[in-house]
Amino acid sequence: MQHPHAELSAYIDGALDPAAQATVDGHLVTCALCRAHVAQLRATAALVHALPDPVPSRRLVPRLATAPSWLAPLRTLMTLASGAAVFLFLASALATNITPLATSGAPATTAREASGDTAAKVQAPVAQPAGVATATPAPVPAASPNAAFAVGPTSSPVADNVVRGAATAQPGGRGDTATGASPAPGAAVNPQDAAWSTLSVPQRSPLLNPWLWLALAILCGVAAIALNRRLRGSV
Amino acid sequence: MSGAPDSEIQLLIERARGGDTRAFEDLARREERALYRHALRIVGTTSDAEDIVQDALFSAWRSIASFQGLSFRAWLFRIATNRALDQLRSRKRRPELPLDPPDDDDVTWAEPVAPGPDLTQLAGDREALAAVETALASLPAEQRTALLLRDVEGFPYEEIAVITSVEIGTVKSRIHRGRLAVRNVLIARGWRGPDG
Repeated sequence: MQHPHAELSAYIDGALDPAAQATVDGHLVTCALCRAHVAQLRATAALVHALPDPVPSRRLVPRLATAPSWLAPLRTLMTLASGAAVFLFLASALATNITPLATSGAPATTAREASGDTAAKVQAPVAQPAGVATATPAPVPAASPNAAFAVGPTSSPVADNVVRGAATAQPGGRGDTATGASPAPGAAVNPQDAAWSTLSVPQRSPLLNPWLWLALAILCGVAAIALNRRLRGSV
Repeated sequence: MSGAPDSEIQLLIERARGGDTRAFEDLARREERALYRHALRIVGTTSDAEDIVQDALFSAWRSIASFQGLSFRAWLFRIATNRALDQLRSRKRRPELPLDPPDDDDVTWAEPVAPGPDLTQLAGDREALAAVETALASLPAEQRTALLLRDVEGFPYEEIAVITSVEIGTVKSRIHRGRLAVRNVLIARGWRGPDG
């Protein structure tokens, strides 16, 4: 009889019809080679079955029960809002800075003259706002919207602003020296510098406060990330 | 659906078909890991396998109203298997082994050339299991799929035919050829089969 090689896997799986199963049974009684092959195939199947179970790195069952349909649009909205808030943060920081710059060309020389003293005083602790105020005559208050109406080293509102600016810089923890230190008007052109120097100055309108937009951007960004993670679990 | 009585599974299926999301999640959770190991051994990469299973389960939820005939487990495996094989086919940049090799019968039986360890004693041998994984990965995907559905998941031939949408004769051929190929790899590595 011919060896039923092609039937042996189905034989060990019990997938042959009864007649074919009986035929193979009969052959195996007399054929040692096929018996060996059957044993090898059984052993192979057992090895495949014994393979270790890989574990997924995350939950794969979608969270259908707790994933409302508005979650995805909300994530998109939060992402866009975060981007818009970043834009507004930069825009408000620039707006509150550039306006005075345009009108502060005249005292530039004074500023430059004063810059030497200012640089020295900048090293002083911020706990002495009065010292900083006397040392920064002109362009520093450029960060304040009020400065548009009070440009010049002799203007007393400017001095007030500087004092308040220096004083309020302390809680910020970083705007301290930046406020009193911006000696050259050109330095304020950098948006980063503009942002930092503006942060410590009181604003006329809350909408022009870059902190507001920065905080909003961070909040929206965190919300978008959280929603995204939530949606990844619920497809 | 190991460990749960059929009546409990049936109840969950009925509730899921009625729109009960928690019942479906319960059902899906029971097969999550099995579907993952199956998809992983078909496509070969963990991130793809995870995406496939997640998509398959979501797709199953959306079409649960059309579920009938198969066992629920086989139905889930059918969806996941189709997605996994579809992804393999779509990988055009990477040269892939043919999904469906020519249906010839010239499968040869490699014989051991020297005495080696007994295959039946190797189940706990890491090296042997690694060799089996390698051998499986080298199989044509359709053979690998059929062999996994049979030897790992324990599906009967009839359900494998439905899961993979082929005739039962094709299933028989794929399983045998796949199993023989793995056996030949092990034999080539110096192991001898148990004496019949």
